[in-house]
Amino acid sequence: MKSKVFKRIMAAGFSAVMALSLVACGGGSGKDEGTKKTEVDVKYSDIKVGEDYTDIKADLKFLTHKTDMVDTKFKEYIAEFQKLYPNVNIEYEGITNYATDITTRLTTGDWGDICMVPTSVDKNELSNYFVNFGKQEVLAETYESNMLNNFAYEGNIYGIPSMANVQGVVYNKAVFDKAGIKELPKTPDEFIADLKAIKEKTEAVPMYTNFAAGWTMTAWDAYTDIGSTGDPDFAINGMCKGKDPFADRGDGTGPYAVYNTLYQAVKEGLIEEDPTTTDWEGSKGMMNRGEIGCMALGSWAITQIQAAGDNADDIGYMAFPISVNGKQYAAAGPDYCYGINCNSKGDQQIAAMCYVKWLVEKSGFAQSEGGLSIVKNDEVPDALKSLDGVELIVGNPAPEGEENLFNDINNDSELGINVSGSIPIQIVEETVSGGMTFEDMVKEWNEKWTAAQESNDITLK
Amino acid sequence: MDQKKKSGFAGFVEWIQSGKVNRRLVIFTFMFVPVTLLIVFTYIPFGKMVEFSFYDMKYIGEREFVGLENYLDVFTRKDCFQALKLSLYYIVASFVQLGLALYFASILSFKTKGGGVFKGFMFFPYLVCGIAVGFIFKFFYTRGFVLDTVLQWCGFELEQLPYWLKDTSINNISVAATSVWRYMGQAMVLFIGAIMSVDSSLYEAAAIDGANGWQKFKYIIFPSIKTIIVLNMILSITGSLSVFEPPYVITGGNFGTATYFVMMDKLAHESQKVGLASAMAVVLLILIIIATMIQKFLERYFFGVGDQEAIRTVRKRNKRLAAEGKLSQTTANGGVR
Repeated sequence: MKSKVFKRIMAAGFSAVMALSLVACGGGSGKDEGTKKTEVDVKYSDIKVGEDYTDIKADLKFLTHKTDMVDTKFKEYIAEFQKLYPNVNIEYEGITNYATDITTRLTTGDWGDICMVPTSVDKNELSNYFVNFGKQEVLAETYESNMLNNFAYEGNIYGIPSMANVQGVVYNKAVFDKAGIKELPKTPDEFIADLKAIKEKTEAVPMYTNFAAGWTMTAWDAYTDIGSTGDPDFAINGMCKGKDPFADRGDGTGPYAVYNTLYQAVKEGLIEEDPTTTDWEGSKGMMNRGEIGCMALGSWAITQIQAAGDNADDIGYMAFPISVNGKQYAAAGPDYCYGINCNSKGDQQIAAMCYVKWLVEKSGFAQSEGGLSIVKNDEVPDALKSLDGVELIVGNPAPEGEENLFNDINNDSELGINVSGSIPIQIVEETVSGGMTFEDMVKEWNEKWTAAQESNDITLK
Repeated sequence: MDQKKKSGFAGFVEWIQSGKVNRRLVIFTFMFVPVTLLIVFTYIPFGKMVEFSFYDMKYIGEREFVGLENYLDVFTRKDCFQALKLSLYYIVASFVQLGLALYFASILSFKTKGGGVFKGFMFFPYLVCGIAVGFIFKFFYTRGFVLDTVLQWCGFELEQLPYWLKDTSINNISVAATSVWRYMGQAMVLFIGAIMSVDSSLYEAAAIDGANGWQKFKYIIFPSIKTIIVLNMILSITGSLSVFEPPYVITGGNFGTATYFVMMDKLAHESQKVGLASAMAVVLLILIIIATMIQKFLERYFFGVGDQEAIRTVRKRNKRLAAEGKLSQTTANGGVR
């Protein structure tokens, strides 16, 4: 009898195990199996697109986060590319939950040939997964050098940016006009005053947070860096090595000022009524129709919002309303970067290089997406021409040996800056539900960040 | 030569058809596929997960063995066990769900007008994928959408209604209600199956004795299906401890709705603390096993398993018998005196 009961408990236990082991599914490790790396003797910078290797035969698989384009724009690109390289077949696979799924896929080593490199790969691991595109100084002859920093390790480049974004705020010109706003805001106070004017004089939601989508909140994290300080080294000197980086700097700049702007807007009721049920796809159309005043989003969103209705001309872009010594800055930074699987066969790697080079230099992808091209002196898209007088700055690379520092501290602190947007999410939550005060939250972030700095043995500056 | 080979083959056929080998072969071939699937997709990943829980690791990159540190973290962090408290909402919801299921099952097991249609309608939500259910309810609870509109028909003003997902005093109830909606039909079908298996002559006998509906339920249906009730309870409670889909899809775990599983997902995928998340999973597994054992014991104590009598009944009887024995002994003794 006893053993019968035991068996049943075991059975119940095992069924629980099955449910739980879901978590572990993501955990396969590529390193154990010893991936087979193929070295190719071709340099990316030497390839002349449309002239070299035009008879190469290869079937490429391309993992992308742009799920909406797999059946439209990318098909056109493939057709265009095949005019030059008739024997190269390219198959796109769109992944909806890209940022998290790709990490697991990468660990298998057998995921395809080209993907958008996720930020979860530490720099010293890059060479285990991706093809080396060449030395940074060589590539910098044709590309903006600082744009290549994201996946540079020991002078080698493992990811080529598909385009570059500017971190600012999308706004509806018609709504701003109606509210009587003549000049774009340059400080947080002006911004809040303008939002209040929108609330009083129009029917529009002054600022739509897109809270429910989650990832959209990371835009607020992005401003805390260069946009609010004008310092290209802020990530490493200010965040990683600075003491209490979230504390009030007293002059209306820095992370404090950015998050405080969000806090004020939420507290004053200048956002949508119910943040928990916002709808990202719907918000694009609402903005286009003039039902939303502004949204905190990178410049990549402009074209999507313009395309969501008939009022494309109403959509404008401005820098985040913080001035450092009277001057506004905006961070320009690379979007997702193309990476090529170093385990692919030789011919496939060469064909992949040709395609990546074609995408970056010839396809016009960046401009059509409202982004900056990383190719020097390339055309600036119309939407960004309005950022006159705003200085665009690309962040400097972390010094050697400290490439992972920001990621490590960020992960240890669980603040998820630029990853999950948990700080802006917390601000909205606590303010809406009347929980912690802003000062308490700042204290908490500083404590978590300091603890993470300590566990990574940082000496504060 | 040929002949010899043939006889060798024939010998092989004979050998393989002999009772013992044949039986084992059948067992082996039938077991092979399911056991392989089980091992590959359940036990190997589980073993890996246990292994990960002893490391400080990310998905990509070096691992560092840290022993029990992750487990210490699980128990010392405030948020991990805080998240388990949310399970109470789901446990309460699961009892509501079982109550409703039992009610509908006892009605629909007997001839009811349109019974088949009702069964179908109530079972249908179970067939919808959990993610889809999440999206349905996200719009259902949106301000001014379905739920608010229906309540306005009933005479409520929009201003009187709360924000179903934003208001932290009720949002967990809103989310837990979705799992009642989804799983009630499944529990009901299980109950109907169990009730059907009860010998119908018992009902007739009860009817002749003049039993009403409640008495029939109490004295016939309930004792006959108590095993399946207990099974459902165990499933619901273990399910309540590991809720994931509803809060993940509907609220993203925001506004205080992050259950233990949602926390685990956040730690593993956003902060890349894979070791810690694995340790959380192992701890939860142990908790679930403990919860199941407690339930099993209570079941044996109060109801008994299968043909076995409940421990409580046996004990009461023994006590009574002992008392009677003593009594009779004392009276006997007294008689002698």
